Amino acid sequence: MPQSLREQTAVRATSAHPGALGRDEIEAFRQGDPHAVRAMYRRYGNLVYSVARRVLTRHDLAEEATQQTFVRAWQAADRIDPNRDPAGWLATIAKRVAIDVYRYESRRTAASFDDVAPNEPAVVSLPPDLHSLDATWQVRRAIDELSEDEAVVVRLQHLEGMTHAEIADVLGIAVGTVKSRSHRAHRKLATLLGHLRETTE
Amino acid sequence: MNEPLSKDGRLALIVDAIGAPHDPCEVEELELLAEVLADPATWEQPRPELEHLVVDAVADAEASVSPLPSVPPVRKASRRRGLFSVAGIAAAAALVVAAVGVLGNGSGSDFTATLAGTPLAPSAHASASMKRTNSGFRIVLDAAHLPPLDSHHYYEAWLKGSDGVAVAVGTFSSSDGRVTLWSGASPAGAKLTVTVEPDDNNQASSGQVVLAGPVQTH
Repeated sequence: MPQSLREQTAVRATSAHPGALGRDEIEAFRQGDPHAVRAMYRRYGNLVYSVARRVLTRHDLAEEATQQTFVRAWQAADRIDPNRDPAGWLATIAKRVAIDVYRYESRRTAASFDDVAPNEPAVVSLPPDLHSLDATWQVRRAIDELSEDEAVVVRLQHLEGMTHAEIADVLGIAVGTVKSRSHRAHRKLATLLGHLRETTE
Repeated sequence: MNEPLSKDGRLALIVDAIGAPHDPCEVEELELLAEVLADPATWEQPRPELEHLVVDAVADAEASVSPLPSVPPVRKASRRRGLFSVAGIAAAAALVVAAVGVLGNGSGSDFTATLAGTPLAPSAHASASMKRTNSGFRIVLDAAHLPPLDSHHYYEAWLKGSDGVAVAVGTFSSSDGRVTLWSGASPAGAKLTVTVEPDDNNQASSGQVVLAGPVQTH
């Protein structure tokens, strides 16, 4: 009988993330070592960008927010606990930076509303709530932990809306293989997302 | 192109793998997971260039707070300390030279370019500064009054050598403002151009040049 999401996540919530940076790398980031900055970006850049992209909807603004996030993280690096995975700490900075950029863009465009582009984020919607943003970065990180074969199946299912048969056709694999990869990927996601509720409540 | 799966369809995929939720909280959690998985922002990969931009932004921030070498005060020479005073002054002068050198290397440009709009964008203009770094040549392009583009086009910057070969140095989409680009090759003697490119996976230049200007050694 399958475990409930809560049961699966209870163990996950207390364990270190498998892809987290090591203590030495975090210490080097605190020292401003360019190699460590690059390593930090390669490990956490996707999740930071996802948060920014979710808030700002425009990739150029999301890139700007991503840069600001890493700069602020470096400026506050003495507050990093090298014994803990910094993903949540970085995501918190990313949320604040992205919302700051969002507010700035909203104010900048408010003066000339008639000139605002139809896809301007300030016009289209309010920024997502913090709970949703937490889910974004945690899901993104969980996706990055999937194998490429698993991730592509999940993406085609959820983002492209494809059926098992359509995915099998696109990828040139058996329907049964698609189903098993989907099943395995979703179980991994549920496990990897274990601390979602704990960190967002 | 398929319509995205319905909310129920997305939930069913998850429930099929991990089992049915036990309480309303778990239902809410699964719904949020399904919503985020269907959001393009969750899946979008940032441009590879963003890694350079991030590393560079942190380096710039670090440089802006690094203390300059301090120059000890030069004291009046006294007869008693004459020999040491001369040495002290020489050392102080060397530190001044070193400080100027550090400042020169940290804030100057190796190359610059002034770009004018072509008939495709007559009101556009831009300036660029280029500096050699350990990662290659960092090009900061400050453009203004480029025509706004739709989502199916982007701008691409090129360095075109005297042999006519153009090397792409980066893409961007903003019509105003500053972007950072990178080149592995030296810009010396090249012409910096910006073209409008359709989002068609064709790596070759479209030839639709909107900005162009010669690179000058600074």
